Amino acid sequence: MVKKEVEKLLKKVQKPARYTGGELNSVVKDKNNVKLRYAFCFPDNYEIGMSHLGMKILYSLVNEREDAWCERVFAPWEDMEALMRENNVKLYALESGDALSEFDLVGFTLQYELSYTNVLNMLDLSGIPVFKKDRTSLTPIIIAGGPCVCNPEPMVDFIDIFLPGEGEEVTNELIDLLIEHKEKDSTRLEFLREAAKIEGVYVPEFYNVDYNEDGTIKSVENIETAPASVKKRIISDLDKVHYPKDFVVPFIDVVQDRTVGEVFRGCIRGCRFCQAGFIYRPIREKSPETINEQCRSISNATGYDEISLCSLSTSDYTNIERLIPMLFDWALKENINVSLPSLRVDNFSDELMEELKKVRRSGLTFAPEAGTQRLRDAINKNVTEEEVLRTALKAFDGGWTSVKLYFMMGLPTETLDDIKGIADLAQKVVDTFYRNPNREKGKGVQVNVSCASFVPKPFTPFQWEAQDTADMLIEKQKHLLSSTTSRKISISYHQSDTSVLEGVLARGDRRLGEVIYKAWQKGCKFDSWDEFFDFSKWREAFNECELTTEFYANRRRTYDEILPWDHMDYGIRKEFLVEENKKAHESVTTPHCRIKCSACGANKLNGGKCDARN
Amino acid sequence: MPEIKKWAMDVRMSFEKTGMAKFISHLDTVRCITRAMKRANVPIWFTEGFNPHAFLTFAMPLSLGFESLCETVDFRLTEEMDLTELSKQIDDALPVDITVKKISVPHMSPNEIRWAEYKIIFNNPDELLLENAHSILSADEILVEKKGKQGRKKVTKEVNIKEHIRTYELEENDSKLTLKTVLSSGTSININPMLLIGALTKNTNTDEQDVDIIKVKSYTENMEIFR
Repeated sequence: MVKKEVEKLLKKVQKPARYTGGELNSVVKDKNNVKLRYAFCFPDNYEIGMSHLGMKILYSLVNEREDAWCERVFAPWEDMEALMRENNVKLYALESGDALSEFDLVGFTLQYELSYTNVLNMLDLSGIPVFKKDRTSLTPIIIAGGPCVCNPEPMVDFIDIFLPGEGEEVTNELIDLLIEHKEKDSTRLEFLREAAKIEGVYVPEFYNVDYNEDGTIKSVENIETAPASVKKRIISDLDKVHYPKDFVVPFIDVVQDRTVGEVFRGCIRGCRFCQAGFIYRPIREKSPETINEQCRSISNATGYDEISLCSLSTSDYTNIERLIPMLFDWALKENINVSLPSLRVDNFSDELMEELKKVRRSGLTFAPEAGTQRLRDAINKNVTEEEVLRTALKAFDGGWTSVKLYFMMGLPTETLDDIKGIADLAQKVVDTFYRNPNREKGKGVQVNVSCASFVPKPFTPFQWEAQDTADMLIEKQKHLLSSTTSRKISISYHQSDTSVLEGVLARGDRRLGEVIYKAWQKGCKFDSWDEFFDFSKWREAFNECELTTEFYANRRRTYDEILPWDHMDYGIRKEFLVEENKKAHESVTTPHCRIKCSACGANKLNGGKCDARN
Repeated sequence: MPEIKKWAMDVRMSFEKTGMAKFISHLDTVRCITRAMKRANVPIWFTEGFNPHAFLTFAMPLSLGFESLCETVDFRLTEEMDLTELSKQIDDALPVDITVKKISVPHMSPNEIRWAEYKIIFNNPDELLLENAHSILSADEILVEKKGKQGRKKVTKEVNIKEHIRTYELEENDSKLTLKTVLSSGTSININPMLLIGALTKNTNTDEQDVDIIKVKSYTENMEIFR
């Protein structure tokens, strides 16, 4: 419920329905009847945050409890923020309209590094001190989860507790513990000491970090009740774990506004650049019956006319050929469309293609990631040019006329020849279209090449690599443009400065807390939005802290250097990553997990089980 | 030729859009109601085109920020149904601030709408507004800036809206000023009450945003209530 003073502001802002709450299926409870209030914060705007599956899962998980109430909070857009500051309105949760400072747990999901300044801004807008050292009462406890938590170090000054891994179980354990300590009227420290004993809970103030003179880490020492390394949590059985029966249905158009069926977690592929491919291991699948049932329930409860299947690589799902007809059976009758993102080119079967033709046709996307076979081998993207072209031909036969190709630039071992290879491959796709006698007549082909800048990430085989500088990336972008001759090919790429900052924050250490704070004070927020991103402010902040972006982004680390995230345990053995790194430099591939287990170590998190080997 | 599916009933749903729902734009309202129909399993007739969609016709779009007690949407049912039961079904599937008043067989075409009655509440009127409101409304000319297009160019022109104000009534209480007025409405001429509010608050210190606007009724040329 929005308070009267906020309602006045809403008449003056764009898209006021971002700030009203009251959406269908949102959960309103009586605050006097719950023991704990949890504010789930997404540090970006409503449209982005409301698209996030993790938030939907945890929202309904916490609200299933009678003793707790979970509400949603998003970063207000700049027009709203200005009015809030001007009128002294505190950032509030959408369900109750109450300020964040009234909550017991304030949880942020850290999905991408460029949202960090928004975390500080949201705390500040709530009237909660941004530095954890300035927060002295038991509540609110500020927690954070999400993929970035695999290296939480840059954010340790602001967050009390990080939850590496999957949140379904540990969230409930932490809520139970905080309720207990609220009733006992414990101090903050007493609570944190007990919290640190829970598996998968990282309390950063219980770790002391020492640095060498060259700025690298000398030692990390655990104190109090903290373990030497924090093991991420995983859910063992995805058929049994909580999944929402409904979703909150936004009034305004959000990015992902549809039923989402989660298919599996983890990935069998082991592409060496891909953090998600490692940090979500081991692979665990849901049964097609579970997925079908969950999609049906959410579709009924929301009225959505689209279902999207969600995983890192949906065609790797072992039961895809059973699941698709099961879903189509009822969905098409009810005018519900089914979309399958994240399909790979190498296992796209004819049957699947036939099934997909039944639904509305969207664009077709392939991700060869690199332009030459040598580089694709180095990054372990086990896709050949022949496979790409064969699938493109199949798609053109099926009536598609537009293809999106995803690539990266700035990959380790990359040369300008590899960049030219991107243009060459795109040209071959164009040629494939025109050589195909069965192509859609009277239509041209459109090949959209999207080129992201590679950012080395923790827990990948490339975690030791030097990232390309902005100048190197710009040179490569120019080379790609000059290598492209056809007007059927359009090229787009990312701003290179944002990739540099992303790289710095991804592999940063604790000293970056001060930089993030200073950048935020200078006005940095919504850094992932081109219209807000201001690298000059970040540069000033680095200078004032006597730190450089080069140290974090462009420096090749040695295998024996202590990395800022070494005390986080994601199951993956470091020796395995070293082996993979060496193989990358020799352009030697590693077969995927169903062909051969490479003993990455992640199965130890699941009692030795891994669905790639059942 | 594919067989054209027939529908069994044409119906009109009247609903209120109040409270926070005033912040849902027209297009978002359309989507919201479409989804509610789906949730309520209403056997609504879909268009037969390449991209079938639920066939819904709203009489008049409501501006963002306005509340309304008299919205209507027309649709078709593929089977005969009890309309009282149906309206309850849909109401249950809608968010709290959108309420179904009733579903009935339409008597008039939306094209017949000619007038709309609004209740406009100035929450914090200043002295100047209180002093001048009467004389502005009773003058022979009420000039407002209306945005329009000349070819492709966007232009603002000054127009006299006096003839589009059928009736008005001012009432002051609790330091608020309430204006009840009937303005031209419909497909050919439509006067947005914001224009009138602009004319009234111009040269005063009253915040033109700090106003509650409620659409109360729609009428035909002969002041029959649209139904």
